[in-house]
Amino acid sequence: MAKTVLEVRELTTRYITRFRESIYAVDHVSLKVDEGRSLGIAGESGCGKSTLALSLMGYYFPPLYYTSGQIIVDERNITGMDPDDVRKTILGNEVSYIPQAAMNALNPTRRVINFIEDVIQAHRPETTKREIYDMARERFELLGLPPEVLEKFPVELSGGMKQRTVIATSVILSPKVLVADEPSSALDVTSQKMVIKMVMDLMEKGIIKALVFITHELPLLYNVTDDIMVMYAGQVVERGTAQETVFDPIHPYTRALMGSIIVPEAGLRGVKLAAIPGTPPNLKRPPSGCRFAERCKYAMPECRAASVDLHETKAGRAYRCIIPEEDLRRLYKNEQ
Amino acid sequence: MKGYRDYFLKKLAWFVVTVVVAFTLNFILPRLMPGDPVAAIVARMAQGMSNATGVQAVYEQYTELFATDQPLLNQYVIYLRNVLNGDFGYSISQYPRTVADVISASIWWTIALQFPAIIVGWIVGNTLGALAAYLRKGFDKVLLPVSLFLSNLPAFGMATILLVIFAVNLRWFPTSGGYDYAMVPSASWEFVWSVIVHYQLPFWSIVLITIGGQAIGMRSMAIYELNADYVKYARFLGIKDSKIIRYVFRNAMLPQITGLALSIGTMVSGALVAEIIFSYPGLGSTTLSAVLGGDYPLISATTLIITFMALIAFFALEILYGLIDPRIKAAQSG
Repeated sequence: MAKTVLEVRELTTRYITRFRESIYAVDHVSLKVDEGRSLGIAGESGCGKSTLALSLMGYYFPPLYYTSGQIIVDERNITGMDPDDVRKTILGNEVSYIPQAAMNALNPTRRVINFIEDVIQAHRPETTKREIYDMARERFELLGLPPEVLEKFPVELSGGMKQRTVIATSVILSPKVLVADEPSSALDVTSQKMVIKMVMDLMEKGIIKALVFITHELPLLYNVTDDIMVMYAGQVVERGTAQETVFDPIHPYTRALMGSIIVPEAGLRGVKLAAIPGTPPNLKRPPSGCRFAERCKYAMPECRAASVDLHETKAGRAYRCIIPEEDLRRLYKNEQ
Repeated sequence: MKGYRDYFLKKLAWFVVTVVVAFTLNFILPRLMPGDPVAAIVARMAQGMSNATGVQAVYEQYTELFATDQPLLNQYVIYLRNVLNGDFGYSISQYPRTVADVISASIWWTIALQFPAIIVGWIVGNTLGALAAYLRKGFDKVLLPVSLFLSNLPAFGMATILLVIFAVNLRWFPTSGGYDYAMVPSASWEFVWSVIVHYQLPFWSIVLITIGGQAIGMRSMAIYELNADYVKYARFLGIKDSKIIRYVFRNAMLPQITGLALSIGTMVSGALVAEIIFSYPGLGSTTLSAVLGGDYPLISATTLIITFMALIAFFALEILYGLIDPRIKAAQSG
């Protein structure tokens, strides 16, 4: 059995608004990433996937607050740790992060190398500038980035180059887990491909041991990650391997999500393009029953009665619906 | 470094062009006004004179003295040569003192009053604003309204309030002047003490207003920077908060430097109100009396000084920005 690098058990985090309302953006989410594996997290905007990315780091600042659950990094529970210890030993060192907005992720008035110095010295204060420069140069070259970038200011780099610089900086200390929050969504298609290839390279070259990749593009995940988890309104609605989730979805939401995206991949083109009607529920007052019921075409009165549990069909495969798997499949078949 | 040299040369070229244009306008605008200044002077002098040849002689003498019979271009060359030699002519209202003499006697009072006041107000205001942005809560709730009040108080209002409270009612400080009327400037301790005492009210009236404006500006800039994406990213890479705060305040400071250069560049006109209310012997008071006395050579010289100080301050600002903010240079050369 492969070693589990990152495990999350029933993690709940919430935003507290200035009017003291709680928004549970991550609601009892569990996940597990083994060494050498990658997990994709998909969902519409506002489903809590970015908040999950932030929550995974185990380091919270207002308005996001930890509520309950556990995060276990390499057999170490980091949820009970002192925040400054998390900062020093975990962030950037064991679990690292690539932000959504890479355009503005670098301090505009600091050269790339000076920022890398700050990152390394935050974890290993005894490292000299010479050693840092050698480390940075080596890592940049390994990832196919010209070392001249190190001497530049962020403003002197193109968008794609900035994003790749951010990725290289995030993995400068060879973290075990990398959490990438939509690293490619703000880029043009060419830069997107480059960024995705680079993230996949990190796994292949052994720089990182596990990857959590977040995006709203479900089909993209099929090419990037081994497993996929679909989120809706703060909860996990389906989980499985990439192949299963994309080609053989169980949950009506996953199916609808596939149908709402223009897919260039062969074999997926047959899926009819259709928007999902309605909008996700307000998480200040989430519905008591199934959270997707309002927008689900198979919804029955029972769906709204009580909250629905995640049903595990086999190891690693699960879905959150009161209709049994076989019945759902029969419904889907009748439609075609 | 080549990029910076290009930037510097470009800015320098623009500076030279602006100086020439400003200087020319300063020369040409008064001369576009209708009427013959020599005729006006002669008319004043000739009151009571009945001898037409006498009046004619006086007129010709003044025409030659002011070179008003020459073409405008020649006048310009003469003016330029004189200014370069530091010769601004005679002051009319304080005749027979020269304009250069009047200005050099008053400009140091203004600089000694304004420069420290602007620097102190800028440093204190920015520190308070940064603290308010970082600490928020109670500190911010007190500082923000106080700063808003201070910065929106007109300069004469602040000066008058301080004057009434500390000079008229409490009698801690004198009401006016740069030193005691009974004294003659000398290197004695009594004179220095007198200068220090007279200095306080005008100084604080400028400092307080500067603090208010700077604190508000810094507070909102720092709040904006604290929420920037690079702050979040730096946090998630485990960089210490104290270091991130340094990033934030360095970046928030950049726009504030514009405010500093602006205040220093417009020092003379900025000092006007405080100097007038406290009858401080600086360039502001001099400008006012020149305007009231119709002292054209003096007005022209002070305007020129005000313009040049502003231009030099902006030039210095742009050169400095090119060094400390990589975005400016990239945007200008890219």
